Amino acid sequence: MSLGGRRGAVAAIVVVLVAVLPLMVKSSFALDILIRILLFAFIGTAWNLLGGYAKQFSLGHAAFFGLGAYTSSLLEVNYGISPWLGMLAGGFVALLASLPIGWLCFRLRGPYFTIATIATAQVLMLIFLKFRDFAWGAEGTTMPNLGDAPLMMQFDGKAAYYYVALGLLLVSLGVTAWIERSRAGYYLVALGEDQDAAEAVGIDVPRMKRDILMLSAFLTAMAGTFYVQYIYFIDPNTAFNFSISIEAALVSIVGGVGTLFGPLIGTVLLETTAALLQSWLGNQAGVQVTVYSVILMAVILWRPTGITGYALELYARRRAKA
Amino acid sequence: MAEALVVQDLSKRFGGLRAVQEVSFTVRENETLALIGPNGAGKTTAFNLIMGFYRPDGGSVRAFGRELVGLRPHAVCALGVARTFQVAKPFGGMTVLENVMTGAFLRERRPAAAHAKAREAIAFAGLSARERSAARDLTTIDQRRLEMARALATEPRLLLLDEVMAGLNPAEVDQAVALVHKLAARGLTIVIVEHLMRAVMALARHIVVLDHGQKIAEGNPTEVMNNPEVVRAYLGSSGHR
Repeated sequence: MSLGGRRGAVAAIVVVLVAVLPLMVKSSFALDILIRILLFAFIGTAWNLLGGYAKQFSLGHAAFFGLGAYTSSLLEVNYGISPWLGMLAGGFVALLASLPIGWLCFRLRGPYFTIATIATAQVLMLIFLKFRDFAWGAEGTTMPNLGDAPLMMQFDGKAAYYYVALGLLLVSLGVTAWIERSRAGYYLVALGEDQDAAEAVGIDVPRMKRDILMLSAFLTAMAGTFYVQYIYFIDPNTAFNFSISIEAALVSIVGGVGTLFGPLIGTVLLETTAALLQSWLGNQAGVQVTVYSVILMAVILWRPTGITGYALELYARRRAKA
Repeated sequence: MAEALVVQDLSKRFGGLRAVQEVSFTVRENETLALIGPNGAGKTTAFNLIMGFYRPDGGSVRAFGRELVGLRPHAVCALGVARTFQVAKPFGGMTVLENVMTGAFLRERRPAAAHAKAREAIAFAGLSARERSAARDLTTIDQRRLEMARALATEPRLLLLDEVMAGLNPAEVDQAVALVHKLAARGLTIVIVEHLMRAVMALARHIVVLDHGQKIAEGNPTEVMNNPEVVRAYLGSSGHR
């Protein structure tokens, strides 16, 4: 079989497998892991647009995640508006919020940019903690349980959530694939490699950064809405948790920054490792986190281009020999 | 002949250092002008001021009748002014082809068209054999070729070349000189900043000499080389010898 044909066949098998997976997996625990994988792969893919392709290393994506989560929750709890609409509204709120955030943070380069992004997410968390009248303060709130209400993004059983998360991931992958091939994709990689050289060939670097941050923020906010709907609960510590920002970056780094499937591959690896470690070592406090961290360090030390980067290197080497 | 670039009273200071002081010169269309001077004379700063990487404290820069002061580099590039960098700045993770396509995208939005234009620029620069190589793996001469191809792909009318000969061996210098000649033959107006006098003499009939940020001489090669100010700037004052 030709390489293209073989690749097509593999793709077809993967698609069918992914589509029927929730029908085969009956364990709620396992399904929960799968949903987490899809969700974080989605967040990672959104992060990767900014952090991977354009190399603007954000550790503040929890800001957008939280804004998405709060926007849809406020709209649903206060006005009974469907989270499907809330998801888009949250996306736009995050998109608008990304303008001042970007305006502030993009003045800085490298690690200073990263620190500034951390700060914005923390500030937002504090705002939502302090202003109790506005959004339930530190106690947070539970989402109204409507039973099986697909129009309100609530479902009986976890399989439906799996498909929603899968849909989100496919959207982000589609958007990324399209950008990768277009002028914008070249421009993002170029400005990530060298800002001055990028400017010198006619790239409006500040505008490109602003635009990709808006898109990345929009997608990340959609994940926030989904997450709240999935766990039926929101408080500032959940919505703006620093671990979300870290996870978004980590899955991309492990899987391969600036590659289409890097974040997905990274998430599969990290989430399954975490889940397996928890079931094996769950009783000894701390051991699980330690092993997890060691794996991370190993990847970053020996495969700094991530799994995908390594695979591409191997592939290129094999092709060069042939 | 029409004026391609008119620099007038251009000044820039960094703290107490007057990097460029009221420098004026004019480059006519299709001309190759060399900007020379000892280290720290303000040549690269002048390039950065022209391209909009720095904002001048005073003076004006007009290219093809358009004022450039106040424009950011990408807008200057869009007006048809491109540059290369003294220390080559390839997009290292990209291939040669992708690097040059990034330049070509300025005038061609569609990837297929940018691809075609990039390949043409690469062929022009004599880099076709390395098209698929990662830019960071190139030798020095090939990095210079890449910089020129990438700049060329933006379809400039005025090209600023910042020390393209630096770090090249004599044979490579000849190749680079030939390439700059080819660019000039295409009708481009070229300003080179260059230390290597052999290359300057081979390329430019019009030379501007900077020293400590000031223009100390201007003219054709013979005039400039016989100018006592220039000799002093390059060799130091002879009083103590």
